[in-house]
Amino acid sequence: MKLPSTLRAAVIRCVAAGAAVALVATGCSSGGGSSDRGATGGTLVVGYTVDPNTLDPWKATQFQAVHLLEQMYGTLTQLDADLNVVPGLAEKWQYSDDNTTLTLTLRQGVTFHDGKPFSSADVKSSIERIQKPETAAVAAATLKSVKSVEAPDPQTAVLRLAAPDAGLLTGLATTNLAMISKDDTPESIGRKPNGTGAFTFGSRTAGQSVTLTANGDHWGGKPTVDGLEFRIIPDETSVVAGLQSGNVHFATVDDPLVARSAEGSGLKVTKTPSLSYHVLQFNARKAPLNNRDVRLAISCAIDRKQVLDTAAMGEGEVVGPVTSPAYKSDPNARPCPTRDLAKAKSLLAGAGFAGGVTIPTIVSQGQYATSVNEAQNLQAQLKEAGITLDLQTLESGAYVDKWIAADFTAAVALNGGRPDPDGMYGRYFTSTGNLNKVAGYSSPELDKLFAEGRATTDVAKRKEVYTRVSRHLEDNAVWVWLFASYGYTVTTQGVGGFTAMPNGSLKNLRQVSLQ
Amino acid sequence: MRAIARHPLARRLVETVLTLFGVAVLVFVTLRAIPGDEITATLGTEAAGLSEAQRKSLRAYYGLDEPLALQFFSWLGNVVTGNLGYSRRAGTSVLELTAAALPVTMELAILSVIIGLLIGVPLAMLSASRPNGARDGFGQVVGLAALSVPNFLLGAALLTVISRYAHYNPNAAAFAPLAENPLLNLQQMLFPALVLGFGLAAPIMRTARSSLLEVQTQDFVRTARGKGVAPLRLRVRHVLHNALNPIVTMTGIQFGYLLGGAVVVEQIFSVPGLGRQVLAGIQQKEYAVVQSTVLVIAATFVLVNLLTDVLYRVIDPRVRTV
Amino acid sequence: MSVTVSPSVAVGPTRSAAWRRLLRSRAGLIGVVLVAVVAGAAVAALLGLTPYDPVAQHPSDRLQGPSGRYWFGTDQFGRDVFSRSLAGVGNSLRVALVAVAISALVGTAAGVCAGFFGGRVRGPVLAVTNVLFAFPPLLLALTLAVTFTRSWLTIAVAIAIVYVPIFVRVSRGPVLSLRETDFIKAARVLGIPTWRILLRHLLPNIAAIVIVQVTLSLSWAVLTEAALSFLGLGSPPPTPSLGSMVFDAKILAGTAWWNLAAPGAVIVLFVVGLNLLGDGLRDALDPKNGRNS
Repeated sequence: MKLPSTLRAAVIRCVAAGAAVALVATGCSSGGGSSDRGATGGTLVVGYTVDPNTLDPWKATQFQAVHLLEQMYGTLTQLDADLNVVPGLAEKWQYSDDNTTLTLTLRQGVTFHDGKPFSSADVKSSIERIQKPETAAVAAATLKSVKSVEAPDPQTAVLRLAAPDAGLLTGLATTNLAMISKDDTPESIGRKPNGTGAFTFGSRTAGQSVTLTANGDHWGGKPTVDGLEFRIIPDETSVVAGLQSGNVHFATVDDPLVARSAEGSGLKVTKTPSLSYHVLQFNARKAPLNNRDVRLAISCAIDRKQVLDTAAMGEGEVVGPVTSPAYKSDPNARPCPTRDLAKAKSLLAGAGFAGGVTIPTIVSQGQYATSVNEAQNLQAQLKEAGITLDLQTLESGAYVDKWIAADFTAAVALNGGRPDPDGMYGRYFTSTGNLNKVAGYSSPELDKLFAEGRATTDVAKRKEVYTRVSRHLEDNAVWVWLFASYGYTVTTQGVGGFTAMPNGSLKNLRQVSLQ
Repeated sequence: MRAIARHPLARRLVETVLTLFGVAVLVFVTLRAIPGDEITATLGTEAAGLSEAQRKSLRAYYGLDEPLALQFFSWLGNVVTGNLGYSRRAGTSVLELTAAALPVTMELAILSVIIGLLIGVPLAMLSASRPNGARDGFGQVVGLAALSVPNFLLGAALLTVISRYAHYNPNAAAFAPLAENPLLNLQQMLFPALVLGFGLAAPIMRTARSSLLEVQTQDFVRTARGKGVAPLRLRVRHVLHNALNPIVTMTGIQFGYLLGGAVVVEQIFSVPGLGRQVLAGIQQKEYAVVQSTVLVIAATFVLVNLLTDVLYRVIDPRVRTV
Repeated sequence: MSVTVSPSVAVGPTRSAAWRRLLRSRAGLIGVVLVAVVAGAAVAALLGLTPYDPVAQHPSDRLQGPSGRYWFGTDQFGRDVFSRSLAGVGNSLRVALVAVAISALVGTAAGVCAGFFGGRVRGPVLAVTNVLFAFPPLLLALTLAVTFTRSWLTIAVAIAIVYVPIFVRVSRGPVLSLRETDFIKAARVLGIPTWRILLRHLLPNIAAIVIVQVTLSLSWAVLTEAALSFLGLGSPPPTPSLGSMVFDAKILAGTAWWNLAAPGAVIVLFVVGLNLLGDGLRDALDPKNGRNS
């Protein structure tokens, strides 16, 4: 008489689904399939799980906001697929002999979407406003070395630097340093975007979609598709469902399980190593982590590959501090390249903690897929060395509050990387860096090394400097660098021509073709 | 004062205003207790890199530097005049956002209630026709089991399975308001309403069953049966009609809960309703959005309760004299 | 949910009579069995009596279907779904019991006081109850859940606050009518201390209603905790909760469906069992036997 409830539920589900499909199968074409066809043209629908939280490029840090705005705004320099600097709005540049003056020759014939011409006056106005505290531009610190900007003629902008800054050109290639018109303000473009990018702003339904139109006058050429629609579908599983039914064409995914499931259903999935790194951060200004041996003991007691395998199903690679392709650290250049429990225990004993030590650690929940699993595995591994990780799981807001205030002894974190090592770590590990409080560590040696790295543009020399920086960070176990995971791009079969980038940029959407 | 206290409708109104004020205070206080603010919600960990001057400027920009009492009363004062606040994330006023989301939630709630009634009431009638027999047991347990699958489970499974194998997913297309494209809109409402309706059907069925049972044993029913009234007509015209009160009350309550409680289903099927608006506001720490939307939901809930009471009195003349 | 109680009795059904009546009704019996099974599973999990450690991973056995080794199959980390489901029940039950205990205690106390004392107690209690009732419940639980450090206890407190009003309402009604009975009036005239009247005379008479409401609220609490976990706001990992298991597994609906079906089935069994038990208890404890079940 009584069917097992799961079977009953399944039967009801099938009946409902069948009924639904039958009801609407007759001539309802608007439910499935993609819009517009053709080898060029069409509107590419990109699935987003959250609404972009701002349209101001100078304040945007949220993934969705940044990658929407980079379609509409231009920067002085850009990055290619290997994250090398290539021309953007600046066609060529020239350093003076002492590297304190940077002369940029701007592209001719560039206009903003409202028709106004782009010139050096806009560069000057943008940089000056970014540097003003009232603007609260998040990348203001990248322009720390810029003393002043001159615009001798409409095609030339001259940046006068307080000291040589080798990472500046790479640092300029971020949407947070986008060039906006001198006649616009962050407020006005926050309502009606106006940039020099490949797409112009079409329309927006808050919480549902943002539509962009291809810019025929773009200096880089008109995009292959006619437009982009960023559609908000709050649940990642539902985004994949949208891809499977063909309503959504393109999405980025972080969770390896979701990526695997998508792959199994006939969608195209590509994975790209990411610049972001998973790390166990230490606050070396708080006991007991102010003792270097304690930190080293922790570093030696951890098998990073095991963390990667248990938390992220092995989808990623073990890394050292620097993850940018050109300056990549050797993950084996550390005191304990493989897990060494004996050494960990002896280090602890030497530091006076033979009986074990407890480290309060904060973990976020809900910000990214693997945080808690990583923390769990770290806790299990460290227990074998007599180190207890006292985990405090915090919701996103609480975690960010504590992280910002450096109110933690240890933190399981996922930090973003940058293409240039100085841009990536200068703000953390120099004593005057704006994130040094959070980094919890500084030393005169590091200050010297970073200054050296900034002072020269010779790539070989810089590589050597940052190798020494990495070595210093690992030898002092400033943090425990774990692994870098993959970013996944999931598309329907008809989407071609997209090149993913390690920094997660979606600017190559302008070259995508849709069938 | 005493005159107001005696008049039931006036007293009800005063109670309503006080209740809504209480809701306003509650939502204001709980929001402020949540760690993080709109700055950290927007910038995330990058907010750590802000200089003191930049932070100060941002606090003024987001209106976070005013004293709390001022924030509360200026918000409340604005609400009374129709200004529900502004959402920086969305770039529009909260009133516009709510005006777009409220009809969507209402439509979903109404469709869900209809489905719930269509499933629950006949099942209850089946059960009550032979109490304690095989049909009753069957109706109770099986009906309960199938209808007690949590709506998020049912919804997620339904969406994933149908998209993957039937390639049918109207909810992944841009949302179509009812006025603009009724056909697509109804397709998009179909699954969420089904899922929610299933969940409603269980409590409706159980209330209806016990109410039907109670009415069935009463004298007038036995009289009608003795007079030879046909069974179906008996069940509908006499029994069901008189058993309606608790069913109506229960339906009203469930409808009210759907106003804010459909948030999970709204998330899964990307229906831009009020629940989703509040959730997005909480995640982005947009105080005005959450406060004003919750107030609107509470006010609608209270209004729906009022209407249910009126309906109650209309259906059952016995209650009218009370 | 309409609940009726005869106000005129000073003597309720005897416990053994009620128990027998409960077990005699088919639905009530099924309810008792289901609840017992689920509760037993929860206790087993809390005592660590699961086939595998719920958090232990077996990477070589990922996403396997149900088999002799893994009764409900494995998840994407190679964890045994059966053990996790048991642990999940334990977790959900713990949260639900604490939440309902708190709300029943606080709500009943408030309701009884408001009903018995009237006057100045009644006003504030009703005002707060109305406010909590008007506030959309899931959103209230959600807002409260993000406020505190995530732990199963704070989730339980958040759910408790949401469900206090129903206990206030449920307990206040009968107290209002009981207050007017000759029996109680006589007790007051005789000078019996108020606390004794409340404790020894009023409470036993409303016990039936409160118990029934407890079972119903338990099922709501389980569902609310699951919904919160599904939104990513429930008790933190690694202890699996039924809702978070559903959340993690929803991408697997068309493929490794057992990850979704197991916690879902457990939730359904538990909720159905509690509802049937509640119905059965209501009928068994109701001295007015005008019902047919």
